[in-house]
This record gives sequence, C-alpha cells and structure tokens, in this order.
Amino acid sequence: MTPAPPGESSFSTRRIGDAGTLAERQAALVAALVAGAPDPPGFDPTRLAAARRALLRKRAGEAAKHWPVLAASLGPRWSAAFAAQHAGREPGGALRDGWDVARALRAELSADAAHELRDREAGWRYDGVRPPRPRHLRAALRTLAARR
Amino acid sequence: MASERGPGVTGGGSTAAWGAPPARADRAASTGGIDGRPAPGGGPVASVRGTDAPGRPFVVDGVGAGWRPEIAGWVADVPDLGFCEVIAESVAPAGPPRGVVDLRARGVPVIPHGIRLSLGGAEPLDPARVTQLAACADALDAPLVSEHIAFVRAAGREAGHLLPVPRTREALDVLAANVARLSAELTVPVALEVIAALFDWPDDELAEPEFLAAVGDRTGALLLLDVANVYANAVNRAQDPRAVLDRILDLVPADRIGYVHVAGGSARHDEAGLYHDTHTDPVPDAVLALLAHLVERAPGVPVLLERDGGYPPAAVLTAELAAIAAAARP
Repeated sequence: MTPAPPGESSFSTRRIGDAGTLAERQAALVAALVAGAPDPPGFDPTRLAAARRALLRKRAGEAAKHWPVLAASLGPRWSAAFAAQHAGREPGGALRDGWDVARALRAELSADAAHELRDREAGWRYDGVRPPRPRHLRAALRTLAARR
Repeated sequence: MASERGPGVTGGGSTAAWGAPPARADRAASTGGIDGRPAPGGGPVASVRGTDAPGRPFVVDGVGAGWRPEIAGWVADVPDLGFCEVIAESVAPAGPPRGVVDLRARGVPVIPHGIRLSLGGAEPLDPARVTQLAACADALDAPLVSEHIAFVRAAGREAGHLLPVPRTREALDVLAANVARLSAELTVPVALEVIAALFDWPDDELAEPEFLAAVGDRTGALLLLDVANVYANAVNRAQDPRAVLDRILDLVPADRIGYVHVAGGSARHDEAGLYHDTHTDPVPDAVLALLAHLVERAPGVPVLLERDGGYPPAAVLTAELAAIAAAARP
C-alpha cells in the first residue's frame, strides 16, 4: 500500500502512464474482458484470463434461464458451446446471447431445442445485430415472466 | 467536480485512512471495542465503538436467505426467517413478485439488492436505475438497500458481472459522488458490499481493509460484509482470510456493518486453485469458520445466505442455512 503524497488533489485526472482517466481505464478493462481488446498494461494476464472465463460462465448461466431447453439439451457442454460462440464478443443480453448459440448450432439441435428456437423466432424479430424485439405482446410477456 | 475534492472534505474520518495511517493502526490495535468493551485508553475510538454492545439492534436481525424465484417455496418455508433479499433489478416496483409480497405481509423485512447500478463506475449513474432502486425500496418498505463496491459497465459496454474498482483516492471520489447521488433519492440507508475479485488493479494504493474503511468514511454507507468474498479475495491474494477479516473489523466499527453475506464457491483445478465465488456451490467449511470468527467479534450481526443457481434439494439448503445459523448464533 502506497499512500499518495499529501496535498495531491487532482485525482480524477490522475494518470497511470498513458492509461488515461479512470473512465478510460475502466472502459479499456471491460473491452479486454468481454470484447477481445488487448489486456491493459499492468494487470496480471493470467488473472484477467480467469476473469474472462468466469464472465463467460456467468453469461452462459443467465442465458440458460432464457433457453432452458437448449441448455438442458447440451447438458455439460452448454458452457463450452456458449464460450465458443461468445468469447471476445460483448454481452448482448441473456436472451440474445442464447439465441446466437441456438442459431450457430441450428443444424445439430435436438428436436426440443429446435422447437424452442422456432418458438422464439415466431415471437420475436432478431436480426443478429440489434436486440430482439417482440412481434407480439404475449411473447414479450412470456419472456419477461421467465426472467428472474 | 470530484477532482476538486481533496481527502477528508467529506467526513473527517477519511483523513485517517489517507493522511495519518498511524491513527488507523492505533485503532487497529484496540480490538477490545469491537466486543462492546471500551477501547483501551478511551478517546475517539471508545466513543466510536461505545455503541457496539451485544444485543444492539441492527437494521435487520437474525438469519436470512436470498429470495430467488427458483427457491421461493423453500424461502417461504424457512422457520424464523429473519429477513430476505431480492435482486432489485428483478422487481417491478408496481408489482413485486408474489412470494416477496407474501413475505412482507408476514412481516419479514426485504432488502432490495442491486447488482447493476455500477456505483464504482466513473461514468454518471443511470438515473432510471437510481429511481428504480429507490422505488423498489419504497414498494417493499425496505429497511435499507444494498449494492456493490464495483462497476459493471463502461463506455456503453456491459461486463455482465461485478468488476473491482482500483483501490485509489480517485475511485473513492467516484464512489462518494455516486452514493450521494443514490442516497438523495433514498429514504433508507445504503449498504455497500465488498465483492469477490479475481484480479487487482495495478493502480491500487490501499489494501482492501483500508479501502473498505475509507469507502465507509467517504460515502457514509454501511458495509455489507460478504464473508465468502473476504475469503475468496484472501485466498486468491495468498493472504490469511482470518487476518484480513480481523483487519477489516479493526478498521470498520461493528455498528457500520449493515449485514453479512455468506455464499458458496469452489476452487477450479484448471486454474491452479483459484477460488471462485460462484453462489452455485455449497458453502465451504472454511467460510463457515470465518463466519464464526466474525460473529465472535461482531455479536448479533445479521447473516444472509445467497444462492444463485445449481439449486440443491430443499433439505440441502435447509441444512446449509442451519450450519450458518449455528455459526452465527453460537
């Protein structure tokens, strides 16, 4: 622990090397953790890698709540399938993240998982780029009700 | 704005953490006060801790459980449930979940627990999230709300989970400003949780106990002391969890602890034993032992079990809560 010198007051413009303001440094860290950007200088790369995997597992768990049939059909392979699709891609929300996995695996889905995907496709417009939008109010309410 | 605020401008106590570490060290040495006994030598330490007598009312009381839809039935059946927590972002203030409403009707206090406010974020808080949390507290007649010493997004990008802030003066300025912004809409206290972090910032100026004390001084918030997170951080920093906890309790008066979290986690063998605070595994014995030690030093502190997935049968949860109660209410 190294206390800063007494009297220093311009904290929010304090810079570590050329790493920028706190807002910039936080943005660089998030980009490295979820969007494939390089690790910011000074961090332990092994720990950032562990955090990156933990974030993917967390996202996979949340996406599984929106895609219970798909996740159950993959069982223990769900986390790996999710990571394969989303490593280095920033979170799009649990519904959309799971949707991307379902579409990527479309050719090999179980009958039940394929039904779940068809059900979502019928209820929502999702172009793979922007967040899904409900085609009908009922579908939106059903999905909201499934959320915790 | 925040850049003009020097250390100690809000709350004289913060200067102790920054400008005069020896004062903190003196407080650290006087472990007596935490048990309600006057600290040796009296003085400001004794006056700070003079209210820590056992039996002093906390904002909530007893042993609680985190309410989640998946285990709503189990939570509803917990005998003598002291209080519960609900994920604030999952609650529509106009229509909270039925199970939560039922608990309130039975007189069980419900704490809205925010996870996406990003109080440690250097960008302005989302006003809608602040308003939602305040409305949630009102709707549930909550005794307090809780959030985290963390940030979850930056530059429009969501991290998807709680990330640590650098333990710096700059981060303290950010937290102080954001908590002030939040508190302006709240009618109840805020408790801030120490998170489990898998990495530290190279910028860190303070150790975690000193930083937590400074956060309390600067924000005026209570500490939500997650004993499992203290354990996780200590293990992952190759520190002794009990020594870290003792240091926190030396620096943070017991009456500034809002309540305590306990949760499960596991070490991943593919990551050289790195301990993960998963909330999907059982609570390790080492965490229960740490809880027992905490309760020795802060008798009567309210304790809540968090479980967020991998839900076991009700009997397993009941046994886990009983183990927590045994550790917390010896």
